[in-house]
Amino acid sequence: MLAQMQPTFILPAWPVVGHEWAVALLARSAATEQVRHAYLFTGPAQVGKTTLARAFAQTLNCQASSEKRPCGLCDSCQRMARDAHPDARLIEPQGKSGRELLIDQVRGIIHEAALSPLLGRRKVFIVREVDRGNAPAMNALLKTLEEPPPSVVLLLTSSYPERLLPTIVSRCQVLSLRPVAVHQIEEMLRAHGAAEERAQLLARLANGRPGWALTALTDESVWQSRQEWLDNLNHLLGQGRNERLAYAERMAARAQEAPEMLALWASWWRDLLLWQQGCPEVVTHIDRRETLASQASRLSPDQVRRFLMALGSASRYLEQNVNPRLVCESLLLHLPRWEAQPA
Amino acid sequence: MASQALYRTWRAQTFSEIVGQEHVTRTLQNALRAGRMAHAYLFSGPRGTGQTSTARILAKAINCLAEDISARPDNSCPICIAINEGRLLDLIEIDAASNRGIDEIRDLRDKVRFAPAEARYKVYVIDEVHMLTNEAFNALLKTLEEPPSHVIFVLATTDPQRVPATVLSRCQRCDFRRICQRDTVAHLERILKSLNKEAESAALDEIARAATGSLRDAISLLDQLLASGQERLTLDQVHDVLGLVADEAVQELVEHLGKHETAKGLALINRFAEEGADLRQFARQIVGYLRGVLLLKVGDGDALLRLPAEMIAVMRRQAHHWSAPDLVRAVRLFNQAANDLRLNFQAQLPLELAFIEATLPTETVAPAARAPEEPAPRGTPARPPASETRPQPASAPPALPAQRPAPTSDVAAQPVPQQIAPVAKNPTDETLLGQAMEKWKTILIEVRNQSRPAEGYLRSSRGPLSVEDSVLVIGFRNQFAKDSMEDPKQKAVVEAVVSRVLGKETRVRCQMLAANDLLASQPVKHAPVVTPPASPPPPPEPPEPIERVLGRFAQERGGQVKPMPPAQGNG
Repeated sequence: MLAQMQPTFILPAWPVVGHEWAVALLARSAATEQVRHAYLFTGPAQVGKTTLARAFAQTLNCQASSEKRPCGLCDSCQRMARDAHPDARLIEPQGKSGRELLIDQVRGIIHEAALSPLLGRRKVFIVREVDRGNAPAMNALLKTLEEPPPSVVLLLTSSYPERLLPTIVSRCQVLSLRPVAVHQIEEMLRAHGAAEERAQLLARLANGRPGWALTALTDESVWQSRQEWLDNLNHLLGQGRNERLAYAERMAARAQEAPEMLALWASWWRDLLLWQQGCPEVVTHIDRRETLASQASRLSPDQVRRFLMALGSASRYLEQNVNPRLVCESLLLHLPRWEAQPA
Repeated sequence: MASQALYRTWRAQTFSEIVGQEHVTRTLQNALRAGRMAHAYLFSGPRGTGQTSTARILAKAINCLAEDISARPDNSCPICIAINEGRLLDLIEIDAASNRGIDEIRDLRDKVRFAPAEARYKVYVIDEVHMLTNEAFNALLKTLEEPPSHVIFVLATTDPQRVPATVLSRCQRCDFRRICQRDTVAHLERILKSLNKEAESAALDEIARAATGSLRDAISLLDQLLASGQERLTLDQVHDVLGLVADEAVQELVEHLGKHETAKGLALINRFAEEGADLRQFARQIVGYLRGVLLLKVGDGDALLRLPAEMIAVMRRQAHHWSAPDLVRAVRLFNQAANDLRLNFQAQLPLELAFIEATLPTETVAPAARAPEEPAPRGTPARPPASETRPQPASAPPALPAQRPAPTSDVAAQPVPQQIAPVAKNPTDETLLGQAMEKWKTILIEVRNQSRPAEGYLRSSRGPLSVEDSVLVIGFRNQFAKDSMEDPKQKAVVEAVVSRVLGKETRVRCQMLAANDLLASQPVKHAPVVTPPASPPPPPEPPEPIERVLGRFAQERGGQVKPMPPAQGNG
């Protein structure tokens, strides 16, 4: 279903993995001078929103001839890649501990938007994680977002578009990026010099997020914690309540990592689920097939389903700021246990 | 070189171009004709329904120089042209969201007094007015109440609830409505025609649906799609950009669902995920489709569904796979999945879970006749607890068995155990008892309306136990609840309600249940997830020592707790 957009137009190679339809659309509108004043890129974290936005910004100001944009070689592209272009601003949430987009930042945008570009053809603002904007900031953006001065292009990114004001969303061209196909991430990883097996596994673990896969490839600790977390999970299955509560305490002490660990566990239990339901070909953890097979046969489908639900609510509670230790304890008490009950 | 977004080039310029808001435009035009303009208007409504556009048109119409009043705005006189080009000094458009402080409003208040420069009226359009600070609103009040005669205020907002009542009452309010799908499609067709492009009508339908009543959303989406440069806009393109899957694919998935082909269904979901479908949209599509099937199942759905005949035929056939309650359950499950998918966590998982759960047979999940006092499931399709050990919320971790064998807070949710069947001695009492049990829920609701505490006590009771000579006996497990219920005031409330519901003068007596009854009703439902309670609970015995109850309960829960000292052996 993705192949319909290309025919009349040959895509230049954008430094973006996947999202062909979005690239086609943006490249086409840049080539035909049909660029709109505001775009909103949505999609899971690390799926490539900012990468795409930056590539588009490069295209808009690239000095090469139009079919080669973005060339990546000209002065403009180079500066852009270093975030040092005077006509391109990357705005990230600041505020307390870098978690909030402030009204002063937005006022800065409004002010700068009124100036004409210095070097390039357009002034581009890439505003990351707009959903972090507090209410005044978001509202302050509205009018500029609706009718900015000519030559201004606003590129917003957000992982949680439902947290945005609907009035913001409706003023933008929304490009909602979906997870990237596994084989594309695999190719990308191979191009970055990953070994075949590692590429296959990471591509699956990445959950459609090329950014994550790249980090995992270069950062050994991601890999190690994956191994450790899975081993822990399997170990806990055979343990009693004392062990589990002790582990929950350790988990809670490293609460920042907990969401990621829960996601990993969920992927493992999802594998069990798929295995039991007769879809072993789509499992994620392809390097641990034997463990999967044996666990899948020892657990009942009902147990797997329930624990998955427990995992789901646990991560929801964490997001809602429930005491992490309570969440972990409750979760681990719901974890099925190997031994049959003593009579 | 800058080309404007379609929604800006297509901003309505006359009243007749405003789509779907006849109730507003007619009012305004009549007021213009009669020369009875209010001095302040509040335009409210969902995004993209035309508030700002109407405000500008109004400014033009009031100041237009055309002779014929009904032809205003004519968009050709100097004033209209100046407004269209955004250079009329007397149209002051204020972005209240970025100028929200009291200083800006003071400034405005000072300038309001000056006469207009060239037009008849000075028009102040205050957009996003809900973002003004409280002080700013209050500073505006006096001006808004009695502005100079040459000033008209138009406040526009998407969020009128946040505008203080004192401001609301000083304005004439116009509520803009969502624009219906037919109007949206017609407008999109007009735009396409002027651009010399074509589109499949199904594609436009899909755009209008995705826009959910906001014209700006619809036009933006069209704009985006047209950027792909093809001559003819196809449904596939729309699906591509929105991440939707073809209707046939949804149909196929529902087919698997109906036939309980779990493996095939899961494979299908994974294929779509791999192909880059937006799974949340997919879940919504499934919900939409199942809704169609449901409508066909329960009656005459054809009229409600704007779908091709062959699709309806397939839906009608698929409707036979399910009973209506099963369908409702499936709709709920997928709806929940669509909500859960918002968490960026294991993209396909919620959808897969919903699919698997929807294929589970109903008998194991939703016993039809449950105890009357069972609380109604909340929000999510939670199934009755007796068969479903849904994970406990983390905020309420399961009570540790060693502390409290029978948490009283749980009592209300428990089904009436079969061991103590309600009894009645004579036939009249028997019918009365039957009625009381049947209508217990109604009674609870009625009591709730009169006395919340009484309802609470009743909910923690075990419901009607027996009827003796027109006295309804209610069984309690909890001394406190029983004592509280016996308070004459509460009792009177309950008796009145019971008599009214049963249509017969009935008195109420409260009774404590014997200890062995209590044991019999030990919770079975909170069995550990690990082992569904395969072995039946031990037969009720004469009063057991509490230590034994405790030990047994502990075992049921986790199996690994040390017996309480002194060890009493295990039950």
